[in-house]
Amino acid sequence: MTTLSLTVNGRQVSTEIDPRLNLADFLRERLSLKGTHLGCEHGACGACTVLMDGMPIRSCITMAASCDGVEITTVEGYDQDPLMSRLRKAFREEHALQCGYCTPGMLATAYDIVSRLDRPDEDEIRAELAGCVCRCTGYRGIVRAIKRCIAEKSA
Amino acid sequence: MLRREDARFLEGRGRFIGDIDIPGMLDVAFLRSPLAHARIASIDTPVDADGRVFTAADLSDVKLVPPASKVPGHRIVAAPPLALDRTRYVGEIIAACIAPTRAEAEDLVETLAPDFEMLPVIASMDDALSDDGTRLYDDWDNNVSMETGFDSGIDEIIANAPVKVTRVLDMARQAMVPLEGKGVLAYWSERDDQLVVYSSTQSPHQIRTALCEALGLQQRQIRVIAPDVGGGFGYKAILHPEEIIVAALAMKTGRPLRWLEDRFEHLTAGANAREHRYEMTAYADDRGRVLAIDAKLTTDGGAYSVWPHTNGFDAIQASGILTGPYDIGGYRVKTQTVVTNKPPLSPYRAVARPGACFAIECTMDAVARAVGRDPAEVRIDNLVKAEAMPYKAITGKEYDSGDYPACLLRAMEMVAEGPKTPAPGRLLGTGYAIYTEHTAVSTSTISHIGIPMMPGFEQAAALMQPDGSLELRVGVQSHGQGMETTMAQIASQVLGIEPDRVVLRHGDTGLSPFSTGTYASRAIVMTGGAVAAACDKIAVKLREIAAHLMQCEPSNVHLEDGQLRGPTATMTIAEAAETWHFRPYELPEDVLRDGLEVTGGYRPDGDKGPFAYAAHAATVSVDPELGTVELLDYVAVDDCGTRVNPMIVDGQVLGGVVQGIGTGLFEESPFDDQGQPLATTFADYSLPTAAETPIIRLDHSETQSPYTRFGVKGVGEGGAIAPPAAVVNAINDALRPLGAELCAVPATPKRVLGAIFDAQDRAIADLEVSK
Repeated sequence: MTTLSLTVNGRQVSTEIDPRLNLADFLRERLSLKGTHLGCEHGACGACTVLMDGMPIRSCITMAASCDGVEITTVEGYDQDPLMSRLRKAFREEHALQCGYCTPGMLATAYDIVSRLDRPDEDEIRAELAGCVCRCTGYRGIVRAIKRCIAEKSA
Repeated sequence: MLRREDARFLEGRGRFIGDIDIPGMLDVAFLRSPLAHARIASIDTPVDADGRVFTAADLSDVKLVPPASKVPGHRIVAAPPLALDRTRYVGEIIAACIAPTRAEAEDLVETLAPDFEMLPVIASMDDALSDDGTRLYDDWDNNVSMETGFDSGIDEIIANAPVKVTRVLDMARQAMVPLEGKGVLAYWSERDDQLVVYSSTQSPHQIRTALCEALGLQQRQIRVIAPDVGGGFGYKAILHPEEIIVAALAMKTGRPLRWLEDRFEHLTAGANAREHRYEMTAYADDRGRVLAIDAKLTTDGGAYSVWPHTNGFDAIQASGILTGPYDIGGYRVKTQTVVTNKPPLSPYRAVARPGACFAIECTMDAVARAVGRDPAEVRIDNLVKAEAMPYKAITGKEYDSGDYPACLLRAMEMVAEGPKTPAPGRLLGTGYAIYTEHTAVSTSTISHIGIPMMPGFEQAAALMQPDGSLELRVGVQSHGQGMETTMAQIASQVLGIEPDRVVLRHGDTGLSPFSTGTYASRAIVMTGGAVAAACDKIAVKLREIAAHLMQCEPSNVHLEDGQLRGPTATMTIAEAAETWHFRPYELPEDVLRDGLEVTGGYRPDGDKGPFAYAAHAATVSVDPELGTVELLDYVAVDDCGTRVNPMIVDGQVLGGVVQGIGTGLFEESPFDDQGQPLATTFADYSLPTAAETPIIRLDHSETQSPYTRFGVKGVGEGGAIAPPAAVVNAINDALRPLGAELCAVPATPKRVLGAIFDAQDRAIADLEVSK
């Protein structure tokens, strides 16, 4: 067993873990944060994306033991964050989700794109999203929602 | 109207099968066959594995559930949930291991030591049809499971047609890839005397029927609940062996058990969709008017027949719509479904129609090339005209309504305005595809094609609450289609009730009337019709209450905007409902003795399924050196009758189109000659992402179906039908200067280059001959 101390959604967590436990399973099974979804478990689909110290990472290929001292934000952890609130509103209004399974990872990725880029064009946004698979929407709504939130940033 | 289901998913509060915790629950992992065809000689299990490892011998009391087929000579083999003495595809389940966590269950799988004797492998359709004597089933005389045919009599046309065009067209095998895998969780509830089965399924009642048959239980003894489901696409509309195993072992062990499919399992054991080969011959006049189609279709049915569709469903569907939206006077088709050492062929979004559309639409382009005309113009000449509706196709199907030529003209107009600038050195091409799709398939159709377990009706319960809010209960399952929104809209349309005062309970056999589930683009037609029928009954009851309170005739009470309006007074639905529930003494004692909770049922008029249709157009740029294809533009113009929620319709079309682009350009589950799957991760199995997907432009027309409530037609699958054809026709338009033509999807660089090299070889050969 390994000792792990980290911050998850603003809450300090210290616990013993099995060294082979990945971050996604740690969040889901040990902390009951079921909003983080597993789509492929090999880092290719993006559904499990969470923020680690503000950067999007794949929680399925991140070992929990490597997360000592970091700050993790999952979909449950944004509270009244103004950007996440705008993203959620835009996702709903642009029909950026259907089954909802990829949505937590998409939101984390979108949060990063909108925070980081000021004037991306359509192709740049799509390239930034290329690590996240949505099987339902055809991506149009997701791209539009991101575009809208970037436009609101400079408005 | 925006979707009412969005909030929980946006906040991470959806409840998918993997999110459900039951106290005492154990995880299941499976030992799966590493070989495509082998005899299981023995399985060594650890000495302390008793009660934790289960093989076929432990499930000897579980009955096989063969799907029914009325097709003459159809040889059906149901898969044993755990392989008996022989395994017939890589990924077939051999043993189940149980442990407190999935990781520990997988550790236990690793300790099992199966011993196999390898058998000759049938890895392809060609293997199956070769005469080397290899058989998947020892007592069969060949590897053909089902043969069907139809002949309208085309010999005279063949003898006289000036133009004959032949093509062989291949659509690869693929996986369906809902982003959430399958999953099942089962436990016995003593209080309910019931097995509770949570399953990530599209069809809870269907699964209950099959599980009861397998486990020998009465239907009251199983409750199947589909929680939030992370995409289905047909993959979750069939009975899976894991559902039987987990349910049976939950009863045997007395413990809550859970299995969640991982992506490796999905891409190997779940590589079960498409894989068709069409040998198409079109006979036409010298203007390209097609007079007859002569076709042979072979599908790779995999090792077993899935329940309830069988392995023959693709061939039946494809051959029934292979003449497309065209007015074609002669048709002959032969189909054969072969068995191979691959996962059992299963129905994927639009079941076989993408293949049939690919076949007829590429053939139509080939006819246009043969007569030297524009492919779109040749299509217009061949399409069924609006004034011919309803049109009885040569296949016997009745196309109910619509204007196919206008739809194609609109797509032509839109794509003409789209981006058309390829990078230097690239070739530009535009291609079209148009289809008509039998949605909400009817009872008579399903019965006619021989799969009786999928009847064309639905039921819905409407429960008027004392405060005037309304609970709807339906057996279909919404997994992205937005039914929590659209069914409330339909209730609102009938009753004038605010959609926010309506809730939809769905996907739970314990809550809803019997249903066959969400598939075949049927829910808005069938369940929407049933919701409307139930609300009609509620409306009659509310008017009766109001009439008594207003001292008038029920026929003089009208429901508008949630109000019951009589000649002299107005009351709200809430007031009427509250009076009946809480102040019955204000009403005569014979008013509504049968209550304010009803069930409505629905079948379309004349038991006819409406035909939705669409025209798609794609512009591509092809790199002739690398064989890469870039989609510059994509246009889809569809007609699904009345659109209950236009935003959701757009979403269904867009999502379907991108899956179709996947079929056309990227997605493939190849197998080697030993039946080993070669695309086992998302690194090898390419899915379209936002980066490969162009801006897709949509337009709609709305031709109401004469046979359905509100004139709706289904729309869930259609988007996925045309893209493989539209994309390949665009590529072939681009390759025209090279004399090359591609006849297979996905159009990977290797296949595109292959087509170019073939053309070069032909040119060189021609040169040799002319020397």
